[in-house]
Amino acid sequence: MNKTTHLDSVIKTHQISKEESLLSKHKEKNTEVKEALQKNYGERIYSPFNSGSYAKNTAMNLKFDFDMVAPFKRNAFGSNGTLKEMYEDVFDFLYEKYKDVAEVRKQKVSIGIEFHADEDGDIVKIDVVPGRELSQDKYNETEDLNLYVYNKYGVIEAGSERIKTNVKAQINNIKDRAEKEKDSIRKIIRLLKVWKNTKLSSPAKSFFLELITIKAFDNKDISGNLWDKLETVLEYIRDEVTKDAFTLKDPGNSNNDLIDTLTSFDRQNLSDDMKLILERIEDNDKNIKTYFPENQKFVEEEEDDNKYDNKGSGFYSTPPKTERFG
Amino acid sequence: MEDKLQKIQSIISDFEKVLIEEPFAVDHEANAVGKVNVIYNDKNDSLSFTVKIRPEYPFKILNTEAITFINSELLKYGHVMGDGSICIHTSHSFDLKKKLEIDFASLKRWIQRYFVNKEKDEHYEHIIMQPVKYNEQHYSFIFSEIEHEFRRDDFGFFDYAEIHSGVFYDTKINNQIVINFKDKHNKLIETSKWSSAYTNLSPANIRFGLYIFIEQPPVIQHRFIISNWRDLQDKVPGEFFTFLYGLQRNNQKLKEVPIPLMVGYKISEMEIHWQTTMLQFGNFPIGHEKINQKWVGFFTDTKIDWIMTKNSSYDYFFGRGKFNNEISNAKVLIIGTGAIGSMVATTLVRGGCKSIDILDFDIKEPENVCRSEYAFSNGITNKVDELKEILSSISPFVEIRIMDSKFFHLHTKIFNNAQDLKSLKKGLNEYDLIFDCSTDNDLMYILSQLSLNKMITLSITNNARALVCGAQSNPYFWVMNQYENVLQNEIEDVYNPTGCWSPTFKASYNDISVLIQYALKHINVKLGQRKELRNFVIETDETNGFHSKLVEF
Repeated sequence: MNKTTHLDSVIKTHQISKEESLLSKHKEKNTEVKEALQKNYGERIYSPFNSGSYAKNTAMNLKFDFDMVAPFKRNAFGSNGTLKEMYEDVFDFLYEKYKDVAEVRKQKVSIGIEFHADEDGDIVKIDVVPGRELSQDKYNETEDLNLYVYNKYGVIEAGSERIKTNVKAQINNIKDRAEKEKDSIRKIIRLLKVWKNTKLSSPAKSFFLELITIKAFDNKDISGNLWDKLETVLEYIRDEVTKDAFTLKDPGNSNNDLIDTLTSFDRQNLSDDMKLILERIEDNDKNIKTYFPENQKFVEEEEDDNKYDNKGSGFYSTPPKTERFG
Repeated sequence: MEDKLQKIQSIISDFEKVLIEEPFAVDHEANAVGKVNVIYNDKNDSLSFTVKIRPEYPFKILNTEAITFINSELLKYGHVMGDGSICIHTSHSFDLKKKLEIDFASLKRWIQRYFVNKEKDEHYEHIIMQPVKYNEQHYSFIFSEIEHEFRRDDFGFFDYAEIHSGVFYDTKINNQIVINFKDKHNKLIETSKWSSAYTNLSPANIRFGLYIFIEQPPVIQHRFIISNWRDLQDKVPGEFFTFLYGLQRNNQKLKEVPIPLMVGYKISEMEIHWQTTMLQFGNFPIGHEKINQKWVGFFTDTKIDWIMTKNSSYDYFFGRGKFNNEISNAKVLIIGTGAIGSMVATTLVRGGCKSIDILDFDIKEPENVCRSEYAFSNGITNKVDELKEILSSISPFVEIRIMDSKFFHLHTKIFNNAQDLKSLKKGLNEYDLIFDCSTDNDLMYILSQLSLNKMITLSITNNARALVCGAQSNPYFWVMNQYENVLQNEIEDVYNPTGCWSPTFKASYNDISVLIQYALKHINVKLGQRKELRNFVIETDETNGFHSKLVEF
């Protein structure tokens, strides 16, 4: 089988544009939440903006939500106001506004709003990340924000007020790459996110996979077809992630090292994951289908060797090839 | 024989520090018997031993060495049997001279450690006793620990039931299990830690016995069990005689009926042991006399015949080997109890599992027996009912529940709206380990949606060429891809025993169990190491002998 053709199909079947109506429902709710924040906080808030995979163009349709940063002025909650007060105030506002139509909950640095399923069974999720400029009226210059950590995040303790980041710099980390390379990076990130989604839980979050992919592109000659490129990135993760000296700097704040979000056990496990993916695909390239599965919902009917083959398709007394025994 | 006798005599006479006191001669049982002195220090102090060499020597007799060194004056030292023979474990040799050298070296080591240095072993040395027959039959009492802490002078009743009567060498043996202990007022203290299959018996099968807890072992010379009732006199409270006297008087109808008495004692701070003897109503070995105007009970001067008593608590039962606690302590569900499911079940039970729920809708027929854990003798019956019996007969510590087979259909395939799936997930997540051995692709698809904590899906290809184990949360697509695209599943070559509507795979018990054991070993090791259990395949190759390889994904 042609691995690159398969990977292209993986990306295609996971495009969020495939889920047009769900996407437009998200856009609608996103605008609504943004306007509600602006109306409520008026002069105290800068314009909220999208920050997650949608903004970075790495979103996929299986599991998607919108991330929105709500940048507040330094004195928005009083000149002595704390980040905790900011976080709690935004939570209280969103909770009061949406409690009847959504589950509103406190997450690591964000407030999650999960709207109840609509008549089509669709669920819209918006995560709001409240942030505050470092000093009064400097946001437009530096775009730096302080975040409040509600839940323990890797090595960062709950209640910490020390997370400083620059979400725009994070977004531009990909956007600033050369057009051709940017496209490849996004494809690999999407594929890794598809792989991550096959696992019950993955300690390596999307942002981690984004950064490590970009770092691989910075350090390796990544060329050839899509499979070749993916293979090189998988090898890079396999070989590098367990090294003591390996770092993964947050482009929004070079003091944040994303490798700290994984324990040494997690790092070894991630390296083993990559090793086994490479070995099993080497054994039999059809194993690629379960490491990087297509979204079955959008697979176009193709001619399949097995499907119309008399042998093993369940005719007469012969059970189908997928008959398991035991 | 004469030649062998000469050789023995000559080899031993060459041993350093060993003097032949009485030359070896052949006795009426064809044993070579002589007496030796073994010098154990520089002052030429020595110990004398009768040496008995059986005709099998230098080979063993079954499990026993064919040489014994006997000195009945050494009973108070460690590792000496009741007849004064020294307990030595030595190495094998087919050569008479070498074997004698080895065995005399072992004897010298025993003298140094236990006679000269008077070493005491850390582990408890059980009381030395030879169980005897009662009414020309053997009886055994098998007990398991309970939480209750007995104190000195506690006495009362216990319930017991017969589990099986068999043959012990050439004598009938009646095996009994102790079900519970009650106080002297017949009030339940605690039920033994057996599964309900052994404790919830019909009252018709339950009999009662007596116990007395004397705290210190009933021994003389540290390790030899008391053999006369008189020697127990000081170890029991006066009240116990009154109890026995009253019991006998109030049960005249039971005259000559046997009743067991268990005598309990501590063998460590944490552990107690029991020895059992049989009494007979009307003939209890007790009497009473008037001392200072008061009736005082006593034991009569009669021999105590001790029968077999065995501690079969969980730690002893599984002392020789079990699964890691991650598996043995897990609450397990097995879905599908065909060839794979029944083998998984028996292996888990022999591995120490305590809680297994089983689920299947299928009927066992004679043709299933050859490659599963079922037995022909049970005839045509529900698989789960027979399996429950088999599993309970293997271990008294496993609680087996038969679950509703509607699970295969109603609960998973018809009512599967979001709410039902949620409650299905909640129910299934109460298990620590679920083995899906059903080979039902529809069911695997549905269970895959639920992101269950630990679901292990096991199946094999035709002819048991490969075993496929889905161990991650959503195994459906991975498993199907293995069958559809990766592995060879030669479905042309199936077995059609009763017509085309029920083809089945070809594979023997041996073909399947080798894969199941390999898979369970891998799962046990991974979980024991707290490592991520990944999907895996065991592939086999028979082109030149049998080879197998496990690949993780």
